[in-house]
This record gives sequence, structure tokens and C-alpha cells, in this order.
Amino acid sequence: MYAIEAEDLSKTFRVRVKEKGMRGSIRAILRPQVEKITAVDRVSFTVEEGEMLAFIGPNGAGKSTTIKMLTGILCPDGGSVRVLGLDPVKRRKQLAYQIGTVFGQKEQLWTHLTPYDNFRFFGAIYDIPDRETEERIGELAERFALEAFINTPVRNLSLGQRIRCEIVASLIHKPGVLFLDEPTIGLDPVVKENIRGLIRQMNREYHTTILLTSHDVGDIEKLCRRIIIMNAGQIVLDDSMEHLKQHYLSGEDAESVNSPSMSLEDIIMEIYRAEGRTEKV
Amino acid sequence: MSTAVKNQVRVCLLSVKYNIMREMVNPVTFVTNILFMMLNNATILVQWFILFRLRGEIGGYTMKDVMLLWGLTASSFGLSKVLFARAFSLPELIISGKLDSYLVQPKNVCLSMLTSATSTASIGDFLYGLVLMAFSGFSMGRLVLFLLFTVTGAVIFVAFTLLLGSLSFWFVRAEMAGGQIVSGMISFMTYPDGIFQGVSRYLLYFLIPVGMAVWKPVHIMTAFSGNADNGMSVGAAGQSLQSGLAALLTVAGYAIALMSIAVFIFYRGLRRYSSSSLMEARM
Amino acid sequence: MRKYVKKTSVHETQRYVCGGLRRRPGRKYRVIYQSVLLENLQYAANLAMGFFSYFVFIYIFIRLWNYMYQAPGELIAGYAKEQMIWYVMMTEMIWFGSDSGALTRQVITDIRGGNIAYMMNKPYHYTLYILTKYTGEWSIRLPMYALLATVIGTCMVGAIPGFRIAALPVMILCVVLGITINAVFKICISLFSFRIEDATPFLWLYDKLLLVVGTVFPIEIFPVALQPFFKLTPIYTVCYGPAKLVVDFSAGKCIEILSAQILYLAAGCGLMFWIYGKGVRKLYVNGG
Repeated sequence: MYAIEAEDLSKTFRVRVKEKGMRGSIRAILRPQVEKITAVDRVSFTVEEGEMLAFIGPNGAGKSTTIKMLTGILCPDGGSVRVLGLDPVKRRKQLAYQIGTVFGQKEQLWTHLTPYDNFRFFGAIYDIPDRETEERIGELAERFALEAFINTPVRNLSLGQRIRCEIVASLIHKPGVLFLDEPTIGLDPVVKENIRGLIRQMNREYHTTILLTSHDVGDIEKLCRRIIIMNAGQIVLDDSMEHLKQHYLSGEDAESVNSPSMSLEDIIMEIYRAEGRTEKV
Repeated sequence: MSTAVKNQVRVCLLSVKYNIMREMVNPVTFVTNILFMMLNNATILVQWFILFRLRGEIGGYTMKDVMLLWGLTASSFGLSKVLFARAFSLPELIISGKLDSYLVQPKNVCLSMLTSATSTASIGDFLYGLVLMAFSGFSMGRLVLFLLFTVTGAVIFVAFTLLLGSLSFWFVRAEMAGGQIVSGMISFMTYPDGIFQGVSRYLLYFLIPVGMAVWKPVHIMTAFSGNADNGMSVGAAGQSLQSGLAALLTVAGYAIALMSIAVFIFYRGLRRYSSSSLMEARM
Repeated sequence: MRKYVKKTSVHETQRYVCGGLRRRPGRKYRVIYQSVLLENLQYAANLAMGFFSYFVFIYIFIRLWNYMYQAPGELIAGYAKEQMIWYVMMTEMIWFGSDSGALTRQVITDIRGGNIAYMMNKPYHYTLYILTKYTGEWSIRLPMYALLATVIGTCMVGAIPGFRIAALPVMILCVVLGITINAVFKICISLFSFRIEDATPFLWLYDKLLLVVGTVFPIEIFPVALQPFFKLTPIYTVCYGPAKLVVDFSAGKCIEILSAQILYLAAGCGLMFWIYGKGVRKLYVNGG
């Protein structure tokens, strides 16, 4: 069984357009102009259980919208989704018990409480009996080396420690799938590396399926074996990391022949650029 | 089913507890906020002392009745803001797309949202209401009734705020209008209903739920203590108890009905939120 | 060539600013005023939302005084019913019309947040900058509320007995002076933040005094023993004075109130500059 199956997933937003100036404002009230923007356009992909997959793409490519549809926050306009065999919209609550989410810098922890109290709170949210929560906290704290600061209020933790707790909090209920939306945004290289280690460990030890989005090529290069590149609401590439590198580095693609030693970053930029070009043509 | 309810209640209580703990991180500020709020409310009494110097009763209310009215308004409002303060900032959550985090939790979105914030100064409101009630003529029966109506009043407050706040799912501008209407509602609540006649009185009972939140309860309570004082015959007392009970049930029924409508509207709005046309703010 | 042009233009700008300063010191305050005015014009629609609260307050007081006055022609504390309601409409108009973020929060935030260190080295006087900004804010709000008050008054209350339209300019002057005095006092209180941690509670107390004692009733309604005391507080010049002139104009009252206002304004400004000067010196010594 696949952990995630998406088929022809689409989402269109209606945006009110306002012309400039006072006259535009008045016109917008009298006769609102609505423009349709296709944020996600017939996207299909599957994720195996235990896989670690990265979504990348420029701002506004539709990554976050896709994740929101997978978690049941947004309902799709078209296509179908199954996460752990469940329809996220119809079975939102049921699915919530089985998935974990970390949305970038949106803090979910109570900063005046200790990580321990926070974990207890999440235990309650996921209906875990106190004793089980207790055991789980002990286990997670040991595995992910949180013991040193588990009783320090979150506001007194370093940023790295805080993000660690943020991510571990989403593991309290043993989720089958974990969605990480830009988990390393705004962190310094050392902390980033630390967080990547944590994510790798989670995937290895709990066999958790992980879907992450990031702008940081390092995240993807060091974590994922597979990569999906989105641009303008569509998947422009869905390939294994190894394949991607080989394909480009061997110079099969005419565009990149001129640079024999490209980094992954260059490759991705090249793909964005190529996509932009094909769209114009 | 019952365990689900129990779990939900557990999460809500934990949420409220943590909220208050957060406010108590700085105990001096915490206590100062509460005391200041009480002092703030007490200043308004000056106005009533002046008015009652001019006339012995206003709109059928004596000074003690007005104190009871004020007390009930303050306590209901205070209770609603201690437990469900987020209702009052719902439009902001909707517009900035912050409902997402409640949607990924396997809990009731409405309740999780409502209990996710608290206003500690409102503890001052709540306590001030109790103090005023005590000064307006204390008895055990009155205290029980007062607490009961504080709960129904708080439910009406939250329901009405939730209802107006949910309009932001459809209209962005509803944010400000809702806040204005709620503060207007509080203004009306602190004046005797006897000064409003005709259409306005009708509107205040049915369109803006001022009547059922405080006026009717105050009438029930003054009638109750009046009867107790006069030492009525057993039969008459039984009869008035019956009509009092009927009135009490009316208020409770009204509160429940209003809350049901509000919750219904909220979930209709939430469906819209999930299919979102509020994209500008949410990408 | 290019370098040369650039150099001259910078030089010229500097000279222009300096020259402008020497010639017309009030100019920069006019520019501040204009920009705040323009900024606030965009929010005119939002301001209209406050109309609802104003209307509710006035409506309640209309009902209340209709109940309190039992016989037509009755006087309470020397006021006829229409005068009493117009009095509240005027004081509330001043209250709502002059409600401003620049006064209630900015000074205290600037001082506590340390922003003041940057602002006091600008080529303007900080207190006058705040005052100008504030003026820009109420110049939009006040006329809107005045219009609303006039509409509500004519439709729901009726004309003020013995209202003298000829005295309108003096009344407006009196309202403007009252609002300015209020601002000066609030800035003075906010400047206490130089000395104490947070002056917000004092600002709050001042507001409460104005609201509870000065806004709802005319001074005459309070016990006789308290009245002389109230006349010494800012209430007399900020809300009572202007509202009294509108509902019950007489030349004698007018001269009395205006002279009191001028006295208060002079004293208030003196106090404001003095406190600010002391605060700034303290800042220089302690380095913030």
C-alpha cells in the first residue's frame, strides 16, 4: 500500500483584483473582478511507506497548497487524494490521529511551558492515556537527546533546541506520515545539520514516511532519495536523486553541457529556467 | 462516544489551564491587571450615584438593581473572556489563515479554537461582578441564581461573538463591524431595560441578545428575592417558583439555541475556509 | 560630469533645508501634518465604523434623559432636556473625534523602546512632532463626528434652545483649544515614562477622570462641594468648557472659558517642554 496517493489533484483560487487608486477601490466594491489562479494543476504522485521525499519549487509553485490538501486543511477542486488509505477531507479527524505536521516557523508549542508539559498536552490532544504518554516522552527524550532541557521552559531554549522539540512533539502519537513544511527555514548551518540528523533518525528508527518542502537544497541533497520539483502548480520533475545527478552530470541535456561539475543547486536552477522557457514557447 | 467527549473536555481544560499559567509567568502583572480591571469597572458607579441622586428609580430599577445588572454583565463577560477569549479575535484567525493548526488536530475545531486564548484582566471583570452582586443584597439562593445566569450570559456572549466573527469567512470587513456590535451590546446591557420602549426594546430582545443575557435574569432574580423577603404563603411561593423556573428555562433554552446557530454558521464558514477563496492572505 | 552634478544637488538640498528652516520654522510641522492627514484619509471608511459606537452611546443617553425628565420644560441642574443631551453629544464628539494612537501609545512606546534616542536628534522638537501628528489625526475624525452629531441631534433631539449660530466660530475655536490642551496634558503624562517604568496607568487615570466626571454630565450636576475642585482640573477646559459654550452660550462664559484655556495651554506647553528637556538630559547622561 502507498502512504500517499494523489491523482490529478487540482486547486484553483479565486482572487479579487483591485485596480490602482481610489477609482479602482470604488470599482472593486461595485463590480468585483475575480481572477482565477490555478495553484495546483492536475498533480499526480505516490509515496511509498517509509519513504523520504522532498518537494521543492519556487515561491508560489503550489507546494504548501499541496501539503494543505494532503492534510485536510484545504479541500481539492479536482482529483483524488488518499493518505494512509483515507480521504483527508471526509476523514479529516480520523486522519489527524495518524499524521504529524510541522509548519515551518509557525510555533505550535506553548513557550512558557517546558517541553515535557507540551508533550503532555499533545498526548491529551491525541487521546493517549497519561501513562502511555509518560513512557513515550521518556523514549523520545532519550532517542533524540532532549533530556538535558526537557524541563526548561521553551522560551529559554536555543532556537535549535526549540525546533527539535517542535518536531519531536509531532511524534508523540506515532504518526505514520509526517509533513514538514520548511523545517529548517531561518536556521544557521550547524542547527540545520542537527535538525537534518533528527529527521533522518526519525525516518530510520520509526519507519515514518516523511514529506518535506524546502528551499534549501542542502536539506534535500542530504535527506532525500527522491525529489519532486514543482513549478506553476505542476510537477516538472519526479525522479530519484541519483538519477537526477547522473542525468545532468553526464551531459545528456544540451543545456548543461557547458558546465561539467554542477551542484544540485545549479541543476535545479537549470530546471526552473528550462521550464520557464517551455512555458513561453 | 462518551470517551471522546471526555477527552475533548480534558483537552479544553488543559488548554485553559495552560493559558492562565502563561499569564501567571509574571505574577505582579497578572494581579495588577485584575485589580486594575476591577477599579476600572468601579469608576462607572459614579455615574449611577449621580443619576440616582436625581431620581429614586430609573426605568424600574433601584440602585441595587443596577448594581445587580452591572454585576451580571461584568461576570458573564468576564467568564466568557477567561474561557473563550479567542471568540473575540476569530476574524483575525480567519483572515490570516491561522485556523490551519486546529484543522490538523483530531479534535473539535470550534472548541479548540475558542479555548486557545484567555484574557486575565477579565478575571477582574468576573470577580467585580460577584462583589457587586454581594453588595446588591446577598443570599445563598441569589448567589446560585447569579452563577447560573452568569453561565447562560457567558454562553450568549460567546455565541453572539462567534456568530458575528464567523461572518468574516464571507466578508473581510465584518471584522470591524462585529467588534463594534459586541461593544455596543455591552453598552446596552449596563442600562435598565425600562428606559427602552417600543421597537428598540424589541430589537434588544431579539436581534441583539441583550434582553435574554441580562435583563430577563435580573427580573427573575429581583422577583425571587422580593418573594423571599415578603414571606409569602406556601401556595403563592410555589406558584411564583414555577413561573420563575419557566423563565429560567426560557433563558437557558435561548442560550442553547443561539449557540447552536452560531456553531452551525461557524462550520458552514469553515467549509468555505477549506475551499478557500481567501488566498491572498493564506499562501 | 555625473559626479559633479550629484555633488551640487546634494549641496543645494542641504542649503535649501537649512534656509527653509531659518525662514519658516513652522513649515516642517505643516508637512508632517499634511502627510498624516493624507494617510488617515485612506482610513476614512474604517473611521466610520466608530460611528456605530458613538450612535449607541448617544442613543442610550437620549433614552435615559427622556426617562429622567418627566415634565416638559423641566430643568435639571439648570439644563433643559435638549441641552443635557447636546452636552453629552458634544463631549462624546470630542472624546471619539480626538481618540488617537499617537497620543495613547506612541510616546510611551517611543520612550520605553528607546526609539526616542533617534527621534530627538531629528531637526524638529519631538513633542511638537507628536502634537502635529495628532492634529493630523483629529482633523479628519472630528469633522466627521461633528457632522454625525449634527444629524443625530437634529433628527432625534431637536434644536438647542437659544443656540446662537453667530457664535459658532468661537465654539469651534474653543473645541479645538480643548482638544489641544488635552493632547498637551497627555503628552506630559506620557513623558513621565522617562522617570518611571511605564506611565500607562497614569494616562489611564487621566482618561478615566475625563470620561467619568467630564463627559457624561455637566459639572453643575455634581454635589456643590465638589464643583470648585472640578473647575481646577483639565475637565473644565477640555470637555466641560467647549460643550457648555455650545449648549448655553453667553459672552461672559465665553471670555471666562477662553481665557482659562489660554492659561492652561501656556502652562501645559511650558510643563511639556520642561519635562521633555529634563528627560532628554537624563537620557544623555545615562545613555538611554
